[in-house]
Amino acid sequence: MVLSQKIHEAFKGTVERITGPRTVSAFKEKGVLSVSEFIIAGDNLVSKCPTWSWESGEPSKRKPYLPSEKQYLITRNVPCLRRAASVEEEYEAAGGEVLLDNEDNDGWLATHGKPNEGKSAEEENLPSMENLEISKNSSIKLTPSYFGGEDEEDIPDMADFEEADNLIETDPAEEVCDNADTTFARYLHVATLQSTYLVAQEPDDDNILRTRTYDVSITYDKYYQTPRVWLTGYDESRMLLQPELVLEDVSQDHARKTVTIEDHPHLPGKHASVHPCRHGAVMKKIIDVLMSRGVEPEVDKYLFLFLKFVASVIPTIEYDYTMDFDLGSSSH
Amino acid sequence: MASQEGSMLKFAPFQSAVDEGFWHRLSSLKLNKLGIDDSPLPITGFYAPCSHSQVSNHLTLLAESLPSESGGESSAAQGNRNRCSVPDLSINSLLIGGDQIWEDIHSGKAVEDSSVLSRFLLISFADLKKWTFHYWFAFPALVLDPPATLVDLRPASQWFSLEEAESVSAACNAWRNSSSTVDVPFFLIDIDPNSRATIRHLKDWETCRGDNHKLLFGFYDPCHLPNNPGWPLRNFLALISSRWDLTSVQFLCYRENRGFADMGSSLVGEAVIAVPQGWKDHHCVPNAVGWELNRGKKVPRCISLAKSMDPTRLAISAA
Repeated sequence: MVLSQKIHEAFKGTVERITGPRTVSAFKEKGVLSVSEFIIAGDNLVSKCPTWSWESGEPSKRKPYLPSEKQYLITRNVPCLRRAASVEEEYEAAGGEVLLDNEDNDGWLATHGKPNEGKSAEEENLPSMENLEISKNSSIKLTPSYFGGEDEEDIPDMADFEEADNLIETDPAEEVCDNADTTFARYLHVATLQSTYLVAQEPDDDNILRTRTYDVSITYDKYYQTPRVWLTGYDESRMLLQPELVLEDVSQDHARKTVTIEDHPHLPGKHASVHPCRHGAVMKKIIDVLMSRGVEPEVDKYLFLFLKFVASVIPTIEYDYTMDFDLGSSSH
Repeated sequence: MASQEGSMLKFAPFQSAVDEGFWHRLSSLKLNKLGIDDSPLPITGFYAPCSHSQVSNHLTLLAESLPSESGGESSAAQGNRNRCSVPDLSINSLLIGGDQIWEDIHSGKAVEDSSVLSRFLLISFADLKKWTFHYWFAFPALVLDPPATLVDLRPASQWFSLEEAESVSAACNAWRNSSSTVDVPFFLIDIDPNSRATIRHLKDWETCRGDNHKLLFGFYDPCHLPNNPGWPLRNFLALISSRWDLTSVQFLCYRENRGFADMGSSLVGEAVIAVPQGWKDHHCVPNAVGWELNRGKKVPRCISLAKSMDPTRLAISAA
C-alpha cells in the first residue's frame, strides 16, 4: 500500500472515531447518505432485487451505528463472463477514442483506435475465458488463483494425491493417502464413502461454462458518508482470486486509481474496492441531472442509481440493479 | 427443446464454495478452543436456487457456518432467501454418508425436515504453520440401481399452460418470501383442474393426491443447465421411490432469474424409477456417490491464505 494511502487511512480512521454519524439528510445537496438513509435504501434494494441480502459479518468488526443484522449488503456468485479489458479492446478495434497516456489523466485522446495488437478477431470469439488474456497490461500476471502463489514450494503438489485416487477406486476404506502423514489422511480413512463416483450419471463437462464469479458487497463509509463497493473474485474453479487479478475486471481507466485493494471493514482479507472519495460528487451530478428533467429523486432509490454508476467501473460483472431510470448519456 | 425419450437421467454435481471467512474462523477455533481435538464439528452450508442463467449456485460455507468461539449458537440469520441452510453429516458414528441419509429417509425425518436430504461432508486439514488448508467435499447421493430414466424434460414455461405457469410462479414467489418456508428446499406443487397452484410441504403428500390434481415434486435447483437437473434431485428421487412407491415422478427444478421465479429456466421433467430390489429392507443400504472432483480429478483442494494470515507478510504489506 502506498504511504500516502496509509496516512490517509489513519487520518480517516481517527476522524471516524471522533465524529458522530451523519443524521441530517444531505442527499440532494451533497449526494451523500445518512446512516438511516443507507438502511432505507438497502432495504429497498433487498426487496426489489432479492439476490442482494443484508449480512451481519464478523461480530468483532460490527459498527455500532448500524443495526447488527444490517451491517452490509452482499450479492454472491455473480457471473463475470469476460474481462473488462476485452470490452475496451473491442471498443478500440471499432475505432473508438483511446486515451493514449494511461498513466496521466490529462492524456491525449486518439480518435481512430489502436491497431489490433496481434490478436485475430477469431481468437477473441472463442468462448473459453482462458483465451482472453490482457494484452494491454503486462504487469498483471495470469496466475489463476491462490494455487499459483509465490511460494509454490510450500504448497504440496496436487499430483502427490493422485495415487490415492486409484486406491479409492479399488479399496474404499483402506490405505488411502499413505504418502501424507497427517490428520487429513486419517480422516480419509474414516470417511471414505462406500462406492465410486458414478460419472455415468452426470452430464458432460463440456456443457458447463467455466467463468469467474464475484461476491459484490456494499458497505457504509462513515467518513465519506456514501456507500462503498467491494469485490471478492473467484476463478473458474471457484477458488479465491488474488485481488490483483480482480483489477482485470475493472475498467482500465479506474484500475489502481479509483479501485484500490484494502481491508474489508466486515470481512477478513484484502479485497478490491471502488474508492468512495468521488462518490458523493458523482451522485450529486446524477441527482442534478434527474432534477433538471423534473424527476424528483427519492432517497430509497439511491442504491439503484449508485449501482448503475458502479457498473461503469465494473462493466462485465453482471450484478442485479434492475430498475429503469432514464439517466441519459451524462451519467458520469 | 426436444424431449429425450427414455434416456438415463443425468444430474449436474453440486459444487462447493468456501468463503475466506470460514478458514479464518476455523483457524481461530483451532488455536483458541479446539486445540488438538479433532472430533467432527457441526457445520452448516448454505445454498439457494440458481439465480443467473449462466452460472450454477454453489453450496457455500461462510464464517457463520462454524459454531462461534464463545460456544453460543451460530448467528446465521434465519429466513435469508439467499441462504437456505443445509446440515452437515456427523462422521463420528459408523453411519457415514449415504447411511445417514438412508436412515433419515426411513425414519421419516427427511419428510419433516427436507434439508437433511442434501447433507454434505467436509474433510479438512488446516496447516496453521503455513496457513494452508486442504479440504475435500462430498455430497452423498444414494444410487438408484437401475438408474432413473428420463421420459420428458422441458422448460417449465412450455410444460405448463400459461395460466398454470403464472399461478406456479406466484405460488413459488410467495413460498420464497415467507420466512417460515423460504429455507424449505423440497416441496410439493399441487395444481387443481382450474389451473390454480398451491405449494405444500412434503408431509402433506397423502392428503393432496388424487382429485384430478396435477402433483409435482419441486426442489430448489442450484444448477443452471438447460438439460439437466441439479444434484439435490438424486436423494429426492430416492425418498420418493422408497417412501411412496411411485414409479413415475413429475418434478420441477425450481430456478430463479434475478431472485424471482423464472419458468423459462425452471425445468419440468418426468422420470421413471424402478424401485431397486432390497429397498424395502431398511438394513440394506444402497451405495452412495458424490466426492467432489477437483479439475476433473478425485483429489482434495488446497488453498493458501498466507497472504492474509501470515503476520510477517501482513507486517511487510502494511509497512
